Amino acid sequence: MNVSIANKATDHADAPAVVMRGITKRFPGVVALADVTLEVRRGELHAICGENGAGKSTLMKILSGVYQPDEGTLEIGGVPTRFTGTRDAERAGIAIIHQELALVEDLSVAANVFLGREKRTSLGLLDDRSMHGECGRLLESLECPVSPATRTGSLRVGDQQLVEIAKALSLEASIVVMDEPTSALTESESARLERTIERLLAVGTTILYISHKMDEVFRLADRITVLRDGRHVRTVNRDDTNPREITSWMVGRELADHEFRQARTRGPKVLEVRSLTLPWPEHPRGYRLSDVSFDLHAGEILGVAGLMGAGRTELLETIFGAGEPTWTGEIRLDGKPVHFQHPREACDARLAMVTEDRKRLGLFPDLDVAGNVSLCSLRDALRGGLLSRRREEDLVAGPIRDTGVKTPGPHAAITGLSGGNQQKCIIGRWLLTKPAILLLDDPTRGIDVGAKAELYALIDRLCREGLGVILTSSELPELLTLADRIIVLAEGRLTAEFPRAEATEQKIMEAATGG
Amino acid sequence: MPPSHSSHKPPFLLRPGEWALVLAIAIAIALTALVDANHSYWFRPLDSLRDIARNTALLGIFALGATVVIIAGGIDLSAGSMIALSSTVCATTMLALAPAQMMGFKPVGFAAVAAGCAASLLVGFLVGTLHAWLITAVRLPPFIATLATLVGLRSFARALCESTTAAVTPTKSALINISDPFFKTVRDNVWIPVAVFGVLAIVTWLLLTRTVLGRHLHALGGNEQAARLAGIRTDNVKWFAYCFGAMTAALAGLFYMANESVAAPVNQGRGHELNAIAAAVVGGCSLAGGVGTVPGTVLGTIFLRVVIDAVSKIIKTGADVYEGLIVGIVVVIAVTLAQVGQFAKGGRGLLPGALGLCAIPTLAMLCGAIVSMTAGARIGIVSGVGAAILLALLRVWESRRAA
Repeated sequence: MNVSIANKATDHADAPAVVMRGITKRFPGVVALADVTLEVRRGELHAICGENGAGKSTLMKILSGVYQPDEGTLEIGGVPTRFTGTRDAERAGIAIIHQELALVEDLSVAANVFLGREKRTSLGLLDDRSMHGECGRLLESLECPVSPATRTGSLRVGDQQLVEIAKALSLEASIVVMDEPTSALTESESARLERTIERLLAVGTTILYISHKMDEVFRLADRITVLRDGRHVRTVNRDDTNPREITSWMVGRELADHEFRQARTRGPKVLEVRSLTLPWPEHPRGYRLSDVSFDLHAGEILGVAGLMGAGRTELLETIFGAGEPTWTGEIRLDGKPVHFQHPREACDARLAMVTEDRKRLGLFPDLDVAGNVSLCSLRDALRGGLLSRRREEDLVAGPIRDTGVKTPGPHAAITGLSGGNQQKCIIGRWLLTKPAILLLDDPTRGIDVGAKAELYALIDRLCREGLGVILTSSELPELLTLADRIIVLAEGRLTAEFPRAEATEQKIMEAATGG
Repeated sequence: MPPSHSSHKPPFLLRPGEWALVLAIAIAIALTALVDANHSYWFRPLDSLRDIARNTALLGIFALGATVVIIAGGIDLSAGSMIALSSTVCATTMLALAPAQMMGFKPVGFAAVAAGCAASLLVGFLVGTLHAWLITAVRLPPFIATLATLVGLRSFARALCESTTAAVTPTKSALINISDPFFKTVRDNVWIPVAVFGVLAIVTWLLLTRTVLGRHLHALGGNEQAARLAGIRTDNVKWFAYCFGAMTAALAGLFYMANESVAAPVNQGRGHELNAIAAAVVGGCSLAGGVGTVPGTVLGTIFLRVVIDAVSKIIKTGADVYEGLIVGIVVVIAVTLAQVGQFAKGGRGLLPGALGLCAIPTLAMLCGAIVSMTAGARIGIVSGVGAAILLALLRVWESRRAA
């Protein structure tokens, strides 16, 4: 696609699109990448797999000029290159779509696509008409039905991602890096993205694709590279391997099929929700939740399935007293009706909630590991009315051990832990409050395979110890693995309930989309 | 992968940045002792110490309040006006309770003094409550809410002063003289404000590091939404923070009134809120919230006052003219030094591109102008040209390194 690159590289027409040789990158205290060599062929989709912290994102940031390597060389289209910034990489035809989208929410879609490269009229003023026109054509080609004049912040995540891709297209990038693009997408949005990817490949674009999701990787990739602990494990053709093998290379061991088929013993009913309705005045639908009813028993995991925007998070927040208190209906805790106005009241009633967006809603980056874990039960760390460092360490030692947090010590920086370990810290925080009901909102989002299996085992064990658990997830296999029963939400309504034995991905998807 | 923080052990007594401040204070004192032509640090060390101690204590008292508010993720711009209001409330209360004594410059009695001081602190609590209400219930940004009270409270204090004097004394006045021996004692014994500052610093330090509320303040400033979802009553924590901020300013206001023997709402404490914020920032507070320490703020306050004192010793005349300039320069340098590692590591230059080119004459002229005003035109021109040459060399070196 990129003419300039093609011209420059005519002598190297057969050269690989990207060669990274012997790349080493050190950060204070860690070696993020050690002697990694990667060769990407022209026009292929090259998947890069690895656990969080394996070095995938660091490698891609070196490729896109965000970081400079400490050692090693980089060749783009056969030409040795050195990037000192992202601009250099853009000029060489490399575009990256980051995991955390880098759009200016208050600007229009077209303004974002042309940010930093605005088109001007002959008078030197912004040429909005031409930018909107080109942006509109790009979005149309991506099946993205939004107007270029829309405020970017008002778009859904899936559409925002396509705006990033439109930006990459407008750069005429010949190499596109996608860092876990589907982690926040619904099934239909993922399908649309896959069609876009196929279109890009058809015109000869090279794609580097980072993902945790094995089904995606095996559907899309030509070749797969596995990284572990900052080292290159191997690169294979998709047809010569299978998901099981890739996963085992990622974690460095064979994974037991984490299924928990032994029946759990169901205890008494702890939570009843009847005709729960949450109004949404500013929306044409009029409600976020409508007439939702279900029960939860002790020692049971209730799965909540639904597409993005179906009301899963709103349901948990309403129960926990964290949402708008304008709901109607009835929530009964051990038979007593409750109407929490603040999460504090829910905590006091022995509810706990692990929120969906860990960074935004769960973590305290300025507190250390111990501070993050002890936050909800600081009273137990008091001695003579003052916090005691020793008592706090003793207090958090239990949950850190039980949840299997890997940390250099209780006073390490929480931001230095991997996503899975951060999530375990947050679960540990709530376990210290000795809850009777645990609400888990998509707890394994953005967490690597090995840590996921550990979290599954942890949730299963907690449930066996008598906790009632409500679990939402954007991944159906997760619900099918863990839940005893699954309820399905579609656009705020409860459309189906299945015992695990009867639930299949097919049935759940039908209920989630059919409404 | 984010760079991990290598040290997990608690630092020895102070954090590295705070040790750097201790060093900076020592250097500033040593320089003043050497450069000052009167050698007042050698011949009259106690006078200098008393001066610095008083100013540090007064600024420090409400800088601690600013620290708590900033750690909680807020900002309180109203401290200077709160100082004026506090002294006015104390003075008008005493005037109302004992008009004859106040007008006759006689002792007003313990009860009136106690009532005046209590009224000031109560008003501090009320102003803090007003801030918290505006911020949590009306949902104004803290900057706007306290900007409104910064402007409003001073005007309110003046109106209060004028209407009370009009009602109680023969003439309306915008200031009230204070001659009670209690306040004279406070003025003449510098150890009183120093002791109050010391005790308040220890209490604040315990509050921030060793209490549940203190941890909640850090959590609130670090991630407000997560704090609420963790069951913390964030609105109450904010209420406390703004009350603490306003009440420490009220306390400082009483000391300013004693110090100046007058309640003067028009000018008392004007601009002091920014000095308090500057002291907290120099001491390592982050305006993004969640980060800051009491030792840092105490050292930041001492450093600011030592530098101001140094300049007044060296320049002699009208040091107050340069106070704002000094505070501004110290804040810029302190925050720049805190991230000097990034410049040293490379990748980022101090004088990049066209902006860097324009910054060279800007900085050189600023330097030259300051030196000419304080030390004479000829030296000023020389140092301006010198600065321009040095900066140009830095620019050349940086662009060489980048290439």
